[in-house]
Amino acid sequence: MAEKGTFFDFIEVIRRAESGEPIKEAEYDRKMGRLALDVVKRYEIRYTPEQVIPEDDGLADRVFEGAVSLFLDLGVYCTDTQRTIRFTREELDWALSHAPKEVLYGREEETVTLFPRKVEDRRPPVCLFSAVGAPVSEESFVPIARSYVQEPLADTYSGPLITSYQGLAVTSGSPVEVEAAIWNTRMLREAAVQAGRPNIGIHNFQSTGERTDATIASAQESFGAYPGDGLLVAAIAEMKVDFERLKKVAFLRHSPYVQGGLYGPLMGGYAGGPEGTAICLLAHHFLGLLVYSAQRHNAFPIHIHHVCNTTREMLWLVSVVGQALARNTDLISAANAFMAAGPCTEMVVDELCAHAIAATVSGWHLNPAAVAKNRHPFRCSGMECRIHAEVGHRTALSGLTRKEANRIVLRLVSSYEKQMADAPIGKTFAECYDVERVKPTDEYESLYEKKKREWQSLGFDASLPIQKKERGGG
Amino acid sequence: MGLLEEMAKVVIEGDEERAVLLARQALDEGLDPAFAIEKGFAKGMNEVGRLFESLEIFLPQVILSADAMARGIEVFRAHLETKGTRKPDKTVVLGTIQGDVHDIGKNIVRIMLECNGFTVHDLGRDVAVSHFVEKVRELSPDIVGVSALMTTTMVHMPRLIETLKEEGLRDKVKVMVGGAPVLPDWASWIGADGCGKSAMEAVAVAKRLTGLE
Repeated sequence: MAEKGTFFDFIEVIRRAESGEPIKEAEYDRKMGRLALDVVKRYEIRYTPEQVIPEDDGLADRVFEGAVSLFLDLGVYCTDTQRTIRFTREELDWALSHAPKEVLYGREEETVTLFPRKVEDRRPPVCLFSAVGAPVSEESFVPIARSYVQEPLADTYSGPLITSYQGLAVTSGSPVEVEAAIWNTRMLREAAVQAGRPNIGIHNFQSTGERTDATIASAQESFGAYPGDGLLVAAIAEMKVDFERLKKVAFLRHSPYVQGGLYGPLMGGYAGGPEGTAICLLAHHFLGLLVYSAQRHNAFPIHIHHVCNTTREMLWLVSVVGQALARNTDLISAANAFMAAGPCTEMVVDELCAHAIAATVSGWHLNPAAVAKNRHPFRCSGMECRIHAEVGHRTALSGLTRKEANRIVLRLVSSYEKQMADAPIGKTFAECYDVERVKPTDEYESLYEKKKREWQSLGFDASLPIQKKERGGG
Repeated sequence: MGLLEEMAKVVIEGDEERAVLLARQALDEGLDPAFAIEKGFAKGMNEVGRLFESLEIFLPQVILSADAMARGIEVFRAHLETKGTRKPDKTVVLGTIQGDVHDIGKNIVRIMLECNGFTVHDLGRDVAVSHFVEKVRELSPDIVGVSALMTTTMVHMPRLIETLKEEGLRDKVKVMVGGAPVLPDWASWIGADGCGKSAMEAVAVAKRLTGLE
């Protein structure tokens, strides 16, 4: 089992959850709004619609310090005890200085190493391909999962979820959830085997089972969850945790699986606008590090109405938080791409390009991609991840600067932002893939080629050869 | 600026103290409380809803506005009860379904419903189907509103509808569902009466279901 690193004492976290300052949840939510607003003012953090990829290092550093201030003043809320878990600046600094400097996924020839990326880093991002728990059927689960794992740029992968199992609805807390969760783990490994990649790391081997008992039940090597795979533990809402999540942490600490923190604050929600939500997202990384003992982090900030992170404000938020993390910490974090439009649409291809450029140049690894607002059954495929990852690689390899990236991304955003509210849901997997051969249709391939020509004319080198991924030896 | 416009403005600004002062002033000037609420505070809150929909303001400001309106209405309450000129509020029993702890969407819907004159009984999150049914029987609401963020919990929604039928309550209450994975087609398939994609849409659906619009 790989060394997980040194983290803040988890038992002390539980103790603080049991004995911290009591506060009503509604009051905590209000306090967050007040503090976030105050921090935004004090640290002079301003969203700039014409500079979605800011070049101002000072701004990134102020976002970091603002997040520290919010985290220390607000604390983390435990909904089961209705108390706040508080930390000192010294504890936070200690945890940051001891955060893992590398994280390994996969086995043997498929071993990949995640590392802290930097702003305008020319090292390509590690790409964690994922169907982000899109709802599918049992029959389509393996072909859809294969469409992700077979992609050459997939360094790790995770899958969709099923909503019914052997004719029964997969219901939270039921025996079916446990059965379906075990099936989910088995089928993810089966898809990897079918794709000729039996040793690839599955960074989140459980999407169907949500409850802790179902998740733990599915975590068996004999089901295909190998050492070097992982699980993500989410914050349940802005800066909140509960015993259900903390139980997962308690299990994972003693398991051979990589622990990832998963954070999705809503822009427009309790932390306010893009500035407040940026601070809140960054503060979630401290939550993950200190409360969840997270070895690495996944960020999916979401627009409260459009349920994506490709609007102008969201791309600014993604960029500024990535830069703040990259400049001030060694935390290893991936940006989850959430698209408004669905597969095989012009809009989704442009959204993927804009997000991948913004995230890569700002220091993130990439976790593509939820599409069609992550809510429409069967509307997901590996092709979206391919597009996102190829753009990410080319962004890094071409040495794109923030200034150049900003110019290109602004052009892309301008082309689709008016469609946000009514973004096309696109095609289902069966409509945009040859399901038997697990291959994108000519229509989808042609659409991507057409878009690449357009991007070339915007100044993005969409034909730059991508180096063969070197894996293994970990 | 007239008094009613001023009342709308303080709600938009989320100024609780001024809301209380203006409500007292309205009473002193002999304004009908129901009229003052509708043409003053509620008008301001409608504008808050519009500003939130276009994200010109964010949830913390919406909460402040809702607080200001609630404080203002509190001043009128005794007079509303004695004069009886205000139409009775429509009532909603609201909650996040069994097994689901994600409640930000439900909370926003609650605020917007309250600001639009509905009386909301918020049961919180992870609410058992049996508890929803119990509250429907006890409170006889116009609507029961249920939210879910996960596919594994939204499947409790049809169970709720079935149980309401079994208990002979289905014809007495409208069922409104919502949440990220809940699509209108599915809502209609399970026999729900309405489904809102956003908080503002939920308010529109609630108004339609209760004959307010």
